[in-house]
Amino acid sequence: MDISLQINGKSERLSVEPGVTLLDALRERLDVTGPKKGCDRGQCGACTVHVGGRPVLACLTLAATVREPVTTVEGLASGDDLHPVQQAFVDQDALQCGFCTSGQIMSAVAAVEQDVPDVREFMSGNLCRCSAYPNIVAAVDQVRGADASV
Amino acid sequence: MTARLDSPLKVTGRARYGSDHNPPGMVFGYVVLSTVAHGEVTAMDVTAVRDAPGVLAVYTPFESLELHTPHNPIMGATWVPLQDTDVAYRGQPIGFVVAETFEQARDAASLVEVSYRERTPLTSLEDGLAAAEDAPPSMDGSPHTVTVLASGVESIEDALAASPVVVEATYTTAPQNHAAMEPHSAVAVWESGTLTVYSGNQGSDLQAASLAQALAEPLSAVHAVNPFVGGAFGGKGATSVPAFLAAAAARDLGRPVKAALTREQVFTATGTRAATVQRLALGAEKDGTLVALRHDSWSSTPMSRAFIEQTSHSTSREWYTTPNMVISQKMVPLNIPPTTFMRAPGEAPGSFALESAIDELAVELGMDPIELRRRNSSLAPPGKDLQWSSKHLDECFGIGAERFGWSQRSEGGRVDGDWLVGLGTATAMFPALRFPASVRVTLNADDTAEVATSGADPGTGLLSVLSLIGADSLDIAPERVTPRLGDSALPSGGMSGGSTATASAGSAIMVAAPEVIDELLTLAAAPGAPFEGAEVSYADGRVLATDGRSLTFGEVLRAVDRSSIAAVGSSAPGEEMSKHSFSSFGAQFCEVRVHRWTREVRVSRMLGVFDAGRIINEQPARSQLMGGMIWGVSAALHEGMEIEADGRLANGDFASYLIPVNADIPDVDVQFVQYPDTLHNPVGARGVGEIGIVGVAAAIANAVFNATGTRVRNIPIAIEDLLDE
Repeated sequence: MDISLQINGKSERLSVEPGVTLLDALRERLDVTGPKKGCDRGQCGACTVHVGGRPVLACLTLAATVREPVTTVEGLASGDDLHPVQQAFVDQDALQCGFCTSGQIMSAVAAVEQDVPDVREFMSGNLCRCSAYPNIVAAVDQVRGADASV
Repeated sequence: MTARLDSPLKVTGRARYGSDHNPPGMVFGYVVLSTVAHGEVTAMDVTAVRDAPGVLAVYTPFESLELHTPHNPIMGATWVPLQDTDVAYRGQPIGFVVAETFEQARDAASLVEVSYRERTPLTSLEDGLAAAEDAPPSMDGSPHTVTVLASGVESIEDALAASPVVVEATYTTAPQNHAAMEPHSAVAVWESGTLTVYSGNQGSDLQAASLAQALAEPLSAVHAVNPFVGGAFGGKGATSVPAFLAAAAARDLGRPVKAALTREQVFTATGTRAATVQRLALGAEKDGTLVALRHDSWSSTPMSRAFIEQTSHSTSREWYTTPNMVISQKMVPLNIPPTTFMRAPGEAPGSFALESAIDELAVELGMDPIELRRRNSSLAPPGKDLQWSSKHLDECFGIGAERFGWSQRSEGGRVDGDWLVGLGTATAMFPALRFPASVRVTLNADDTAEVATSGADPGTGLLSVLSLIGADSLDIAPERVTPRLGDSALPSGGMSGGSTATASAGSAIMVAAPEVIDELLTLAAAPGAPFEGAEVSYADGRVLATDGRSLTFGEVLRAVDRSSIAAVGSSAPGEEMSKHSFSSFGAQFCEVRVHRWTREVRVSRMLGVFDAGRIINEQPARSQLMGGMIWGVSAALHEGMEIEADGRLANGDFASYLIPVNADIPDVDVQFVQYPDTLHNPVGARGVGEIGIVGVAAAIANAVFNATGTRVRNIPIAIEDLLDE
């Protein structure tokens, strides 16, 4: 079926089988490879993207059902300027191998935007086997602290 | 301190891991696994598969891709799929379907009909103990059983019988999977007779060699590229099944092939950590002096017997001074997924047993467990003459006890509302190793430098380490050094494993840098060059003459019309091995809270103090040690493969194979004592990749005992282990 997607502000038209997930559409059809496939069944969070501003698991979302704009980790920075959450991940060393990082950052952006009461709980849908967890919390806190001081 | 250099690429999604490559014309492969644990594939009906939309090829043991078993010095032989019909475990790769799209390959793969001649599988370590076999010699060549007895002592049994205080216990540890976030995957492209493979691995040159052997191609025809590796932990030391199959299928079909294991497939089609059973007996004087130590170990191993988790050899062999010691290692071949190196192989499960037993002895003696450890601290491994090159374990315990508030610990723990709170500690040790490595150091005419090696950075921070040691060796700012790795076309960096990469590559940089500086000085003073005939030296990125003139190395190169000069340096373990024993050391501290009614265990505080030689880059080193410690929490409280009697893995996905999530983990305090160990290697670094996990599970079990009075001798510790009878 023919579908159109808004990916990081860009309109994309493509033809996919109804069973194609948003994750495979992004990675295998559109070469948007920031979102990662860690489990393909909603258990690890590495594929987290924003649809209509909300974090969703791209591996559990059928591409053909997506109507709202999609933002992936590639769509956060403006030019060479990192998004504050991306910068905080660099500053706090909130990653090691980096494979879960795209998903962590998309969830962390949501944590900041929603001003969630418990960062550790909110971020618990994103597995990190390198176990950068305390640094991920520190990265979210860095951005929230900066916001608070404005 | 330098931030991790590849972080900007990783936080923007621009770092391309193996399966992120999408060359034109690429097709997709999907691996088919066995659904029995033991037997023979008698037939595979692939008619429906061939008729499915988009299918290009189906490979089975009956219509196979030719692959030869490769060997390398570190990993030994690597199993290649589809070469025979034997099935040795459930979830063994037995087929490969290639189609135009991922979905077509996946859907078609589900149509394969497999017939088996089944045999009864052996899957239980406990049931197999009676039929255990002696293990082959350990990696250092030691026989399965090592006996050290004081003169006049007939046997370890006699030594134990003569000991005033004895503790004896048996400990078990669960099999585990590395569960790196990146599933094993590969994209293989053949162009003009040359194969390029993008596939996460711990050493691109070893991977290229292994693929060349498997495909019977010259090494020059294989190019492995993996600058980004989505976690490895030992599980990507060997070349993976998708890499072999994608490469062979791409050659067969003349199209680029992408293949990735599903998460469920990763649990069986790669490698795992063995299950272990360990029996400890410690005999001591009343003042705590160890007089006898016996540590017998049994490890599960696959039917190939290819890898043995050596727990007693990796811990009790070296950790404490004792006049009498016997360690042994047996293996129990089972129809289970392959075992392989996994973060601190041997040391991680071995330290759970040994450091729990030491805690039990401290309880028996009524002695502080830190004092007991101090009293028996080894100057050298028992029965060996070579002393530790640099050991500051007592200082680690001293700093740790102070920071952690160890003096507040009381026998029986304390109570905080409905929570029983306990403190535990354990020693950590991990051998200081290094492998042969080569690095190329290049000086460029634009006053930049490059440091390049084929080795891998699977999240370890090696890329930044290359830059920092390169800058140090060339006496220039790190910003001017471009590090490169993860490419088999670069000088052989060997394997990122065994906590060796910093010592191995760093030592090679320290050989290459003086060589390229020598060449620069020769060029600078040559006839027609700016310093013709002058006596010249090098400092601060500049060539200096005794008359006060100086030029940057770039200015010199431009003056002699050279765009760059380079030198390759190599290093390997040498005569230092005959002079000292080498290890890193650490003191692990843990506080747990056990709920009085639900018996839920939460880790509330952790501290590790490490003596790992020189720390090159503090922030990533701290992160890596912290990650290791959290792996210890995972081993103690979360993860374990549950293999059913028929060989099926009951929890082979991320919903049921538990690893910690963010909410499980408290703040983790990591401290270093820094004594550069230049007796081991010129860099003075001993590596931090593995020691973080060592001892943590015991520290947690010891803390649980302190909180509850219940001694749990198996990991992972479950709620039911803490319920009253």
